[in-house]
Amino acid sequence: MLLTDEQGLLLTQPIDTKIFVQGKAGSGKTTAGVHWLQKLLKAGVPPHQILVFTPQRTLAQPYLDCMHDEGAFAHSLITTMTLGGLARRMVDLFWPLISEEAGFAHPNQPPHFLTLESGQYYMAHVVRPLIENEGYFESLAIHRNRIYAQILDNLNKAAIVGFPYEEIGPRLKSAWIGGIEQFNIYDDVQRCADHFRQFCLAHNLLDFSLQVEVFLQRLWPLRLCREHLVQSYRHLIADNIEEDTPVTHDVLRDWLSEFESALLIADEEAGFRSFLGADVISAFSLGSACETRLWFKQNLVNETAIAQLKTGIQSVISQLQSRSEEEIESPTPALREALGLPGEHIKLFPSMVKWVTQNVAELIESGVPPAEIVLLAPYMPDVLRFALGDGLDALGIPHQSHRPSRALRDEPATQTLLSLASIAYPGWSMPAQPVNLALALMQAIEGLDLVRAQLLVNLVFEPGNDGILLKPFEAIPNAFKDRITYRVGERYDRLRQWLLEAAGAEGSQNLDFFLSRLFGEVLSQPGFGFHDDLERANTVSTLIESVQKFRWTVGQQLPGEDFNLGKEYLRMVQDGVIAAQYLRTWEERSPDAVFMAPAYTFLISNQPVDVQFWLDIGSPSWYQRLDQPLTHPYVLSRHWTTGDVWDADNELAAAHETLRRLSIGLLNRCRKKVYIGMSALDVRGYENRGLLIRIINEAWRRSLKEGA
Amino acid sequence: MILPNDFVFTQANLQNYVDCPYRFYLRYVLRTRWPALVVDQALDFEQRGQAGGRFHRLVQQYLMGVPAERIEALAEEDPWPELRTWWAGFMAHVPPWLVGQRWVEMSLTATLAGQRLLAKYDLLLVDEQGNLTLFDWKTSEKPLSKVRLLERIQTRLYRLVLLQASPMLLNHQQAAPEQISMHYWYATHPQTPISLIYSQVDYDRDREYLAHLVETVTNAEVEDFLRTADLGRCRFCVYRSHCERGVEAGSLEEFDRLELELDDPDQLIDFDDLPEIEF
Repeated sequence: MLLTDEQGLLLTQPIDTKIFVQGKAGSGKTTAGVHWLQKLLKAGVPPHQILVFTPQRTLAQPYLDCMHDEGAFAHSLITTMTLGGLARRMVDLFWPLISEEAGFAHPNQPPHFLTLESGQYYMAHVVRPLIENEGYFESLAIHRNRIYAQILDNLNKAAIVGFPYEEIGPRLKSAWIGGIEQFNIYDDVQRCADHFRQFCLAHNLLDFSLQVEVFLQRLWPLRLCREHLVQSYRHLIADNIEEDTPVTHDVLRDWLSEFESALLIADEEAGFRSFLGADVISAFSLGSACETRLWFKQNLVNETAIAQLKTGIQSVISQLQSRSEEEIESPTPALREALGLPGEHIKLFPSMVKWVTQNVAELIESGVPPAEIVLLAPYMPDVLRFALGDGLDALGIPHQSHRPSRALRDEPATQTLLSLASIAYPGWSMPAQPVNLALALMQAIEGLDLVRAQLLVNLVFEPGNDGILLKPFEAIPNAFKDRITYRVGERYDRLRQWLLEAAGAEGSQNLDFFLSRLFGEVLSQPGFGFHDDLERANTVSTLIESVQKFRWTVGQQLPGEDFNLGKEYLRMVQDGVIAAQYLRTWEERSPDAVFMAPAYTFLISNQPVDVQFWLDIGSPSWYQRLDQPLTHPYVLSRHWTTGDVWDADNELAAAHETLRRLSIGLLNRCRKKVYIGMSALDVRGYENRGLLIRIINEAWRRSLKEGA
Repeated sequence: MILPNDFVFTQANLQNYVDCPYRFYLRYVLRTRWPALVVDQALDFEQRGQAGGRFHRLVQQYLMGVPAERIEALAEEDPWPELRTWWAGFMAHVPPWLVGQRWVEMSLTATLAGQRLLAKYDLLLVDEQGNLTLFDWKTSEKPLSKVRLLERIQTRLYRLVLLQASPMLLNHQQAAPEQISMHYWYATHPQTPISLIYSQVDYDRDREYLAHLVETVTNAEVEDFLRTADLGRCRFCVYRSHCERGVEAGSLEEFDRLELELDDPDQLIDFDDLPEIEF
């Protein structure tokens, strides 16, 4: 592979040095990082001495792929790590040394690491009584799960920015200039965070924030831990550091002198994860800690027209931001070649979808590979995803979404197993709704359609009964037996009998074991709906893992005579606290499919394409913050000055900066053309008048002026 | 070849192939998870595996320099009573053997028949004479015989990979097979590990065996992944209903009697398998 001059210059640097590489996306920095890894290996550095640090694991994939290619002469493995992974590993390894000093109530018992799901569960456990009995957040009209998530988010922000969690409330209050009600809300936030932290310490639970805090405050300064890390890893490659957090940068800065070599790579005009605590300023400050600083200026992705579109958008936003210090360039008429606009005014959302899918079809027909086309929107709501999916299906175009269509709890396989569990355990007093039971039986029994399943449920289901809730097949009138068929009836009886016996059987007290047996002994047997269905088996596996992890963390910490884990799990699923995640959060991009994703997901995946479609561009979601009344990404950042207040000017400036980063970030990852999907009315029928439309119009106008 | 391009052979996946090629196909080619029980007494089985995992972690902590008395306090309060005995046995017998540079939980790779092999070692010791000693901690109730251990894929693979990777550990010097010894230490029989010496003959035999095995798997087409003829194993295979070879899982007693083994307990708590909270 031919290298650019800039990449070549990096590779001429000696390996016993610390190098900082910065440049825009598409300038070949990660490719150069991979070549640097190869250079280390060829110089005889054992792979196990190399640490690749990234803000999320998927970003380390090019380095892992390289190791596979270089396998013939490598005899160990590189380590890829994130801050979360590092904190968790070290806490687990050195737990006996710090458990008591860190304030855990049971220092001689192992730690329990919480997942997103179990963290949310425990937060609900702690906060729910405060809401219900003590009037917390009574002036707030948002779903409780959002309350729990935002309090967790605040704790995480405190940990990754590096301030005491006790300052969450005071910081939020000091920046607030609205009504007094919000002060009470921030006080409630602080008290909930306090309660949650005390609860975690009392039960050896470590959510993400506590893992990071314990690592930073107890382990990073500990000689044994530090020696282990310093001796294990002699060479560092840290990529996409601009998407990482301030405390990560602190650790890297502190660690840097210990490495024999270090390559730090930062994207300019990025920091897309700022709402998750990414800190561009602290990332770039690491440049001064390195001996050599290299700039990658060449863009290897953009064709001329896209480069001009970038210039045009940049110039309009810069003017909005009053960046007088920047030289504002005007775009050339070539900009227009980069933009695909509807030929006529599109009023309604479905027409916009139709215009998009037709253009996708034409592009593919003209030879553009489907995988070189992405459809992007700020959040890609389900309604848009389904509409696009249907449209592409109708044209026979393969497509892939950033996530499966349903959350775990909404998967039919999940609902089937949980409905049957609720039948097997009448003591939970949570019988399935008849319609759900009918759906479950239809899924469970081969040859049973929905109409007959509903008929069967009407005839056999007795939810008011104290004991078994289902009557046997023989108990229904013969005329109905004929209609339902005896074959189905025999399968139904097998299932019913199994449910009757299994709930009382040894080992079935745990819901996950019960579900495993239900799957293995009935549902996946011949004659039942899960036999030979590998996809549904994967779904059931994920469900059972979720129940299992719930038992492992919750079952050991909250035992009580009245506490039934299975019932609690089911209740939490119904409340949307758990099993709300999607089956897979990230899938490998298919080489043959059009990709649909939220814009930020595409940006973080770091894979340029030929053609992008920007959809719903009238929406303010392209630049407005999420409505999060209990937290604030800017006020809780490291660069917020105590005493300042967050006002409308701040909000506008933040919106402009978000839009600049997002639009330029997308264009840095586009080779040829951007199609603009817009309709006068959005999906809800509201008028589309967002800022992005106006900026693109203005850029277009300026290019006309230039060409005149 | 129908294996994924980045496929790496390990003792676990090779053992799965040897036990049942079709199980290998389902698990590693199709990546299908099949959530049935392995044994009927699922809770006992799970607790045993978890206790093994916790014991491995305690040993790792000790080998990395955490003071023994702090670890002992954890062992004392462990919910699995046998773990205390395992730890006492470890401390009574193992420390004198720990001579040389330590590599704890080290992963090494090698290439055979054009494919990558991976072995993860509980403990590797390198002494001043360049002798390489590897330890594997076992918490299963009954030790396997020396003959069975010599036949195990783990034994064959671990020694072969270590030999090939030895220059990395010995300042670019290639070790001779005779410099390698492997010790299976059973927590239930702490006084005497089962020690296996290595020789050129062993290496040549293992190399031929593993190369043939790897080539067979690599060149196999879908129809070559046949179900095992040993139906007794199917009772302890989660895919039994998919293959229409049984309904209920076998008993834990029978599992023990057949000297079947859990997957490496340490792998049960492998960080790489845990979903990381990204923030």
